[in-house]
Amino acid sequence: MIHKEITLPSPREEVWEALTDPERLADWFANDVELDLRPGGGASFRWTNGEERHATVTEVEPERRLAFAWDDEGDVEFTLDDVDEGTRLTVIETVPAWSTALDLQASALVHA
Amino acid sequence: MTDALGQVFSALADPSRRHVLGYLSERGSATATELTGELPITRQAVSKHLAALAHAGLVESERRGRETRFHLTPTGEEWDERLEALARHLRERRS
Repeated sequence: MIHKEITLPSPREEVWEALTDPERLADWFANDVELDLRPGGGASFRWTNGEERHATVTEVEPERRLAFAWDDEGDVEFTLDDVDEGTRLTVIETVPAWSTALDLQASALVHA
Repeated sequence: MTDALGQVFSALADPSRRHVLGYLSERGSATATELTGELPITRQAVSKHLAALAHAGLVESERRGRETRFHLTPTGEEWDERLEALARHLRERRS
């Protein structure tokens, strides 16, 4: 499981917009984004390197929670909370099996 | 040294545990039974090693049907990059 948190100096509604408006997602998440923002809605992300990933929206709670399931593998959950400094965004991604930087370290240790 | 880091080092200090990490790195995931076939040790010893690796946060387990599979804990570096890009995006919008 991956668990990341970031505190953003922006109000929750602004962070929500950056997470859910395809045009804005195209500025930080991918290069070309389609998103049907409702449970069961589809999402497509394309990157300039030719990579393309598809997902299905599983949960939408405006300005609070957004979750989607990658069609290949894994679930992603975004949660927004008010904090003094602005908004805390929590990302949780669960993927059964994943290659990571640690893989390389581990295999370097074994093959050294 | 923090306790967490100490646990990582002690987990890595054992050759069998390093072998387990290498196998998981190559195959993606494995059951304790598969790992027992790979190593000259008992299944009970494999389970102990997996518990030590999980305790150090290096591996995670997951139930798939009737079996428990182990995989390396992902580090999520791509999310660090994405969240940094999001912070930049919000900063640019504000200025």
